[in-house]
Amino acid sequence: MDTFSKQEKMEIELTVNGQIVRRTVPTTLRLLDFLRDDLHLTGAKEVCAEGECGACTVFLDGRTVNSCLIFAVEADGAEITTIEGLAENGVQGELKKAFVKHHSVQCGYCIPGMVLSGLQVLEENDHPSVEEAAEGIAGNICRCTGYHKILEAIVETGRSES
Amino acid sequence: MKYYRPKTTAELFELLENEQGSKALLAGGTDLMPRYEQGRPFPDLLIDLKHLPEMSEIHEEQEEIIIGALTSVEDLKKNPLIRRYAKALSMAAGEFAAVQIRHRATIGGNLMNASPAGDLIPPLNILNAGLMVSSRQSVREIPIDEFHLGPGKTALDETEILTEIRFKKTDLESTFVKLGLRRAMAISVVNLAASYKILDGKYQALNLAAGAVAPTVVGLEKYAEAVVADVEAIDTEIALLENAISPIDDIRATARYRRKALKNIARYTLHELLSETDE
Repeated sequence: MDTFSKQEKMEIELTVNGQIVRRTVPTTLRLLDFLRDDLHLTGAKEVCAEGECGACTVFLDGRTVNSCLIFAVEADGAEITTIEGLAENGVQGELKKAFVKHHSVQCGYCIPGMVLSGLQVLEENDHPSVEEAAEGIAGNICRCTGYHKILEAIVETGRSES
Repeated sequence: MKYYRPKTTAELFELLENEQGSKALLAGGTDLMPRYEQGRPFPDLLIDLKHLPEMSEIHEEQEEIIIGALTSVEDLKKNPLIRRYAKALSMAAGEFAAVQIRHRATIGGNLMNASPAGDLIPPLNILNAGLMVSSRQSVREIPIDEFHLGPGKTALDETEILTEIRFKKTDLESTFVKLGLRRAMAISVVNLAASYKILDGKYQALNLAAGAVAPTVVGLEKYAEAVVADVEAIDTEIALLENAISPIDDIRATARYRRKALKNIARYTLHELLSETDE
């Protein structure tokens, strides 16, 4: 019974980084695994698999979510943006450049999630303070940087985007 | 596991009544998914509620505020009606997990999950909220203090769903205090909601509810009323809070710590509110 139910499949259609994708997936597949294994978009990472660390963060219909806590079938009809889908210009490009400029990246594992959470902060607040940026990345854990350089990158992008 | 996405409540009730096999109702999924991750077997049917119409809005009527059960915690946090009429609920939503979780997690999910530490419950308790529950045959209202029967248990039966949360508009102020082990993401060790009205250094009205100190959230009206009757009684009444709670030892704290923490938080909050209003 259990084996049978695990094999249940469904066709889904969604937009990922601007492209329409249609696939047949097991109903128990997580959005994170769908992105990484089926679409080979490996920017979103798995660490805790329970929504504590934010390494699997993606945008779903314009809001950041943990892709480890969502079934791929739930995203049928949705619009997903991963780190791979960010533009080189505008605030998306500015934020990526600021991460490089401020040496915000050490091992890099948390960075896709950090950039997307930073972007969510900037989409709601053109000029975030350090505290507001910190609140915005509270769901993302980094074990290398001590966060300061990540916060500098987000805050500076806000200042330069007038 | 079959995945269903009902578009109307009629379709949903049909599934609940007629489909065979184990069923799980899915709202935000932020509590459900980690359980599957930890090895809980998948249900035969997963029923995704997120596409039901008109269940994710907050609106006001003449005397009441109505919150759809599928309203996300982030929308709750930002909503001006909630900020105005239910400050404690707005504060609890603001301290809830982190933004990625708040985007998905719903107020209905938090109530149905029935955690003794559910942060949105004490703020609804002090508002005497009513929870609207529907099945194919009936609609009924369950008062918040009768909704939770124990950890993970609610008064709903298997053919019913929680559709909305209602409470009367009030001119009382309110606040929410949470003690966790980390600022973001933390599950409460103890939490406390208070509604109040202060005049001339005295409580004209006061209600209190505490979470994570018993199998369900505990209303502390009796103690609050004694403080209204005599403001000098704050410290003695707080010592008595001990009798209203039955905390446990768990991974986050010991029962002894929870007893102390609740009393300290309550004492601090009641004195602090008085001195704030003095200024």
